[in-house]
Amino acid sequence: MTLLITAVSLIGGFIIAVPAALVRINRVPVLSQIASAYVTVIRGTPMLMHLFLIYYGLPILIDSVSRKLNLGFTSVSIPIVYFVFVAFSLTAGAYMTEVIRAGIQAVDRGQVEAAYSVGMTPVQTFKRIVLPQALAVSLLNLSSEVIGMLHGTTLAFTVSITEINGRANIVASTNWKFFEAYIAAALMFWGLTVLIERVTARIEKKINTFNRGGVA
Amino acid sequence: MIEIRNITKTFGRQEVLKGIDLTVEKGEVVVILGPSGSGKTTLLRCLNFLEKPDDGTVNISGEQVNCKRPTKQEIHSLRKKTAMVFQHYNLFKHKTVLENVMEGLIIVRKLDRVEARVKSIEVLEKVGLGDKLDMYPSQLSGGQQQRVGIARALALEPEVILFDEPTSALDPELVGEVLSVIRKIAAEGITMIVVTHEMGFARDVSNHVVFMDGGVIVEEGKPNEIFRSPKEERTKQFLKRITPELTYDI
Repeated sequence: MTLLITAVSLIGGFIIAVPAALVRINRVPVLSQIASAYVTVIRGTPMLMHLFLIYYGLPILIDSVSRKLNLGFTSVSIPIVYFVFVAFSLTAGAYMTEVIRAGIQAVDRGQVEAAYSVGMTPVQTFKRIVLPQALAVSLLNLSSEVIGMLHGTTLAFTVSITEINGRANIVASTNWKFFEAYIAAALMFWGLTVLIERVTARIEKKINTFNRGGVA
Repeated sequence: MIEIRNITKTFGRQEVLKGIDLTVEKGEVVVILGPSGSGKTTLLRCLNFLEKPDDGTVNISGEQVNCKRPTKQEIHSLRKKTAMVFQHYNLFKHKTVLENVMEGLIIVRKLDRVEARVKSIEVLEKVGLGDKLDMYPSQLSGGQQQRVGIARALALEPEVILFDEPTSALDPELVGEVLSVIRKIAAEGITMIVVTHEMGFARDVSNHVVFMDGGVIVEEGKPNEIFRSPKEERTKQFLKRITPELTYDI
């Protein structure tokens, strides 16, 4: 459950972050303001708050819309974990927007012009030239984001999702071995974190092959 | 054939191009000379719309574009007919030498990978980099990087290759290897427009020399005419300052 929430939130966050970063960089009117308001509001409030606001607020919204349109559909039928996905995707998206924005800006303009001069369209240029390099630049920050999100998933316990921490709590409350249970949970988180760090290091090594050497 | 009519371009209040007309025949090597700030690079960049001209028309082998209101398709098809070699090479840093050249062939020319590979290797061998295929740009010298830039442009088989000061960022020692590659492809009859400060190159390789200053073409003609007997006072001044050796050389 922990891994699922982490993965979905990060993918969701990424899907939000790339367009948001683009909109901010290109200063698209209106959208750019929305994106920057989104980033500052989300980053300015705790992750637990996002979870509660979505968990308690979104059902009200869904039900009232459903009632207006006579969809015969109520929010009760939606599994709780979906609200967690939405809330954490929003959280991850805001942080990733800034990370990716910095990455995109680090790719020099000359390569974009070169891609255009070759005849590539702006979309092709972004996908094939800018984004891979932006992600390479952002790698370390993104990896911190992944780890942060992994640990952040413990908050899902507050809305009765049993992820690692929640499981530990449940086990402990049956046998009163709280300390042991939490140590076990902590070890699992640590293990996962080490794994993420290893993967990052491996990718970093690959990236360094093209970053190696001075820029002539 | 390339025909530029009445191109104007203003940056802020600075009028950089004040109505440029230029015709380039197929197979010609045109060199644009001029002091910095004369608008030569801007003119070159207007040809593939890296800068959008304010007014005028650009026609590259039948693709006529009105610069006032160009459509995205017009700009795109103009860019497909041209290729550019940049002062700072602008190679794709995350791609190998071979991938840099293959990129345009696969994505823009829609060749399959095998064809693109064969074609790219052929061109890279022509510029003398057949042994560097799997290197990344950061592992190459400036001269080698620029030759990759030339290969990337050449592989696309464009109607014209635009060279924007291709040797200005290079160590003097490395200028020679790049110029000799440009000479070689010039000899193959590829149309080129070259902005450069290399007078020797301009004199020996070009068919047509254009001298620009202050956003206008001051004088143009055969290299012999321009270098030996420039008509305009401004051209004389410029040539005297930039090529003192020419007065002895000729």
